[in-house]
Amino acid sequence: MTVPVEWYVALSAILFSIGALGVLLRRNAIIIFMSVELMLNAANLLFVAFSRYLGDLDGQVLVFFVITVAAAEVAVGLALIVVIFRTKQSINIDEINLMKG
Amino acid sequence: MNAFALAPLVLGLPILGVLFNGFVGRRFVEADRSVGEKWSGWAASIMALSAFVIVVLLYFSLQANGHHAEIVPMMDWISIPSANFHIPWAMQIDTLSVTMMLVVTGVGSLIHIYAIGYMHGDPNFSRFFTYLNLFLFFMLILVSGNNYLMLFVGWEGVGLCSFLLIGFWFDRTNEKGEAMNANAARKAFVANRVGDLAMILAMSLTFWTFGTLNFEPVFDSAVEMFHSGAMVHFGAFSASLGGVLTAITALFLVGATGKSAQIPLLVWLPDAMAGPTPVSALIHAATMVTSGIYLIVRSNVLFEIVRESHALVLGVISSPDLVALVGALTAVYAGLIAFTQFDIKKVLAYSTVSQLGFMIAAVGMGAYVAGMFHLITHAFFKALLFMGSGSVIHGMEHGHHHISHGHGHDNHHDHFDPQDMRTMGGLRHHMPTTFWTYLVGSLALAGIVPLAGFWSKDEILAHASANSGGINTVVYILLTIAAFCTAFYMARQVKMVFFGEPRHKAAEHAHESPRTMTMPLVILAILAILGGLLNFPHFGAEAEAAHGAETAVVAAGEHAAEVESAGGLNLALEHWLEHSIASFHLTEEGVVEMPHTPTTLQIPVATISSVLAIAAIAIAYFLVYGSRPKTADERDPLQATPIWWMAVLPLNTLYMGYIVPAFNRLAEWAAHTLDWAFWHDFVHDNIIRNIFVGFANFASNVLDAQGVDGIVNGSGSVARWLANQIRRSQTGYARNYALSVFLGTVVLLAYFLFMAR
Repeated sequence: MTVPVEWYVALSAILFSIGALGVLLRRNAIIIFMSVELMLNAANLLFVAFSRYLGDLDGQVLVFFVITVAAAEVAVGLALIVVIFRTKQSINIDEINLMKG
Repeated sequence: MNAFALAPLVLGLPILGVLFNGFVGRRFVEADRSVGEKWSGWAASIMALSAFVIVVLLYFSLQANGHHAEIVPMMDWISIPSANFHIPWAMQIDTLSVTMMLVVTGVGSLIHIYAIGYMHGDPNFSRFFTYLNLFLFFMLILVSGNNYLMLFVGWEGVGLCSFLLIGFWFDRTNEKGEAMNANAARKAFVANRVGDLAMILAMSLTFWTFGTLNFEPVFDSAVEMFHSGAMVHFGAFSASLGGVLTAITALFLVGATGKSAQIPLLVWLPDAMAGPTPVSALIHAATMVTSGIYLIVRSNVLFEIVRESHALVLGVISSPDLVALVGALTAVYAGLIAFTQFDIKKVLAYSTVSQLGFMIAAVGMGAYVAGMFHLITHAFFKALLFMGSGSVIHGMEHGHHHISHGHGHDNHHDHFDPQDMRTMGGLRHHMPTTFWTYLVGSLALAGIVPLAGFWSKDEILAHASANSGGINTVVYILLTIAAFCTAFYMARQVKMVFFGEPRHKAAEHAHESPRTMTMPLVILAILAILGGLLNFPHFGAEAEAAHGAETAVVAAGEHAAEVESAGGLNLALEHWLEHSIASFHLTEEGVVEMPHTPTTLQIPVATISSVLAIAAIAIAYFLVYGSRPKTADERDPLQATPIWWMAVLPLNTLYMGYIVPAFNRLAEWAAHTLDWAFWHDFVHDNIIRNIFVGFANFASNVLDAQGVDGIVNGSGSVARWLANQIRRSQTGYARNYALSVFLGTVVLLAYFLFMAR
C-alpha cells in the first residue's frame, strides 16, 4: 500500500513550520542555519511527493538543484559564521545588529 | 415766415466768439497789437451784434404769430423716465424773454464796441473779450431757458463770469499790498453763493411740489391747484399750496437779493467796481444784476397766487410784500450811501443798487410791467453812466500819464486814483461828448421830465400810490425818498466831476476818449432820451376810458391785440409783455385780478417826484456844492451831516466783521479739522494706511511666514518625523527581518489563495 500524498503534504508542512519557527525564534546562528535546511528539505519532500504522485520527473530534477544550492549556501553560510565567531567571540544572532537603521 | 429756428444761434454766436478769442485771439494780439486788437475786439462785438440782429428777427416773428410763446427745443438734457422727470434743453421765446434778450444783446453790443476802445493796450485784451462773450452766452441762457434748471445754469454761469471779470486785474494791489480786485471777486462770489443756495432750495421745493421744473407746466398746475384748493403732499405731511409757494417765493427773493444786490446781500456790488468799467456797465448795471427781477417777473404766477392766498412768511408778511419792502428799503439805503462816496464808480454802484431796489419793489407790488420798464430804461442810462464814468477815468489816466511824463519826475508811486471825484472838476471843457451824454444819463436817472427815467420811475410810484394801503403806502414813501436821493447824488456827482475848476493836474490834461468809446455813449444817450416812449402812458380821462374799454374786452375773453392799434405807441411795452405776464388772470369767478397799474399819467405823483427831483438837484448843485470843493483835499460839505453816517452803516461791517471771519473760521475748520484732521489724519493715516499696513503685515507675518513657509518647512519636518518613525522598524535584528519576510510571504500567499482567484 502506498502512503497517500496528503500525508506527505502534512509532513512537509510540519517540517516547514518547525523550520520557520526555528529561524524566527532561535538566536544561535548554527541552529537557524539548520532550520533553514529543514525548510528547504520540507520543500524538497513536497517536490518529490508530488513528482511521484503526478508521475512527472520535473519535480525531482528541481530537488537536485535545490540540494546543490543548499550545499553551496551551507559552505558560504558556515564560513560567514566562522568569521563572525572570530570577530565577536559569539554566534548569538542578536549581537549582530550592524544593519540597524 | 418766422425766425424761431434761428433762436439757438443766439446762444451759438457768443460761444463762437468765446472759442475764437479763447484759442486764437491771443495769438492775433501778440503777433500784431493794433491789428490783433481790432480782430479780437470786433470778432466779439460782431458776435454780440449778430445775436442782437437775430433777437430782433425773433421780435418780429413773435409779432407775426400773435405774440404766442414759442418753445424751441434743442436737445434732451435730463431724462429720468421712472421719476417722470424730463428737463429739455429748450429756449422759451416769448415776449418777456425777447425783451430781456433785446436788452442783453443790444446794450451788450454797444458795451463790446466801447470796450475795444477802453481795453486798448491791456496785455490780456483777448481774455477780456472771451469772458465778455461767455457772459453774454450765460446771460442769454438765463433769460431764454424754458425751465428753472436752465435759468439756474445761466444764473451760475453769469456768477462765474462776474467773478472772472471783477477779478480781471487780479494781480493789481492797493497801497497796502492787498489784492483788492481778487478779494472783490471772491466777495461777489461768496455773497452770491448764499442766494444760489436759496435758489437750489427753491427749485427742489418746486420740483417736489409740481414734479417738473419747466415754466409752463409749473405755472399751469399752480393755477389749477390754487383753483381746486389742493394740498401739497410731501410724503407723510402735507401743506397748503399758499404755504409752499410762500416758501418757494421767499427763497426766490433770497436768490434775487444775491444776484440783484438787495439787502442783506448787497455788499458785493460796490466792491465789484474793481472790475474794468465795461464790466460794471454790462454786468453790474444793465444785465446780470437784473436777473433777480427777471426771475420774479418770470415767476409772477407763483407770486400772485401767494398774494391771493394770504399766506405769510413766518406769520408776519406775505412774500410779495416782503419783496416790495426789501426793494424799497434797499432803494433808500443805497441811495443814502451814495451821498458819501468819492469814487465815481462807487456812486454809480450804489445808485444801481438803489435802482434795482425800485425794480424789486415794483415787481413785489405786482407792477411787473413797470418793473421791466424801469429795468430797460435803467439798462440804457446806467450803462451810459458807467461808460461815461469809464470815459472820464480813461481821460484822467491819460491826463495823469501826460503830466508824469511831461514833467519828467517820477510820479508813478504817488498812488493817483483816477476814480476819485475829488481830483476831478471842470472836465466839461476837456471831454464835451462825455459830458453831454453823462448829463443826459444823470437827468434820466434823476427822473427829469421828458427823459426815460422819469416815465419808468413814475410808473412804479404811480402803481404804489394807486394801490395804496398796507405795504404799498410804506413803499411809496420810501421810494419817493429814494427818488429824492437819486437826484441829489447824481447832481453832486455831475457837479464834482464836470463843473468847477480842475482840482488836479491830471484833470487839466484829460482829453476826450476815442470814437469807439464815445459812439456807444451817444447811441445810449439817444435811447435814454427816447426810452420813455416804450411805455408811454395815456394822458387824461378820455384815454383812460379807451383803456377801460380795452380791459372790458380782455375780460370778455377777446384778444387784446385788437385794441392795441387804438392805443398807438401808448403802453407798447405793457401790451407787448402782457402776453407773458398778464396772460393769466387769477380770477375766482372773474373777480380777483392782477394788481392794476394806472395807465394814465398820475399828475399828482408825477408832480411830487419831479418837484422833489428838481429840488434835490438844486440843493445839491447850488446849496451844498455851490462853490466847493475847490481843492482835492477839501472836506465834502456833507461830511458834517448825519447823512454821512450812512457810509458806516453796519451791512459792510457785518460782512467784514462777522461773515468773513465766520467764513474764514469755517474754511479753516474745514481745512484743518475736516480736511486735515479727519480726511488726511484719520481717513488716510488711520483707516486707509492702517488697513493697508495691517494687510501687509498679515501677508508677511502670517500668510508668508506661516502659510508658504509652513508648507515648505512642514513637508520637511513631516518627512523627518515620518523617517524617524519608520527607522524604528530597522532594528538590525535578523529575526525581525525574517519575520517580516515571513509575514510578507503569508500575506502574498493569502492573497493568491483567497483573493486572486
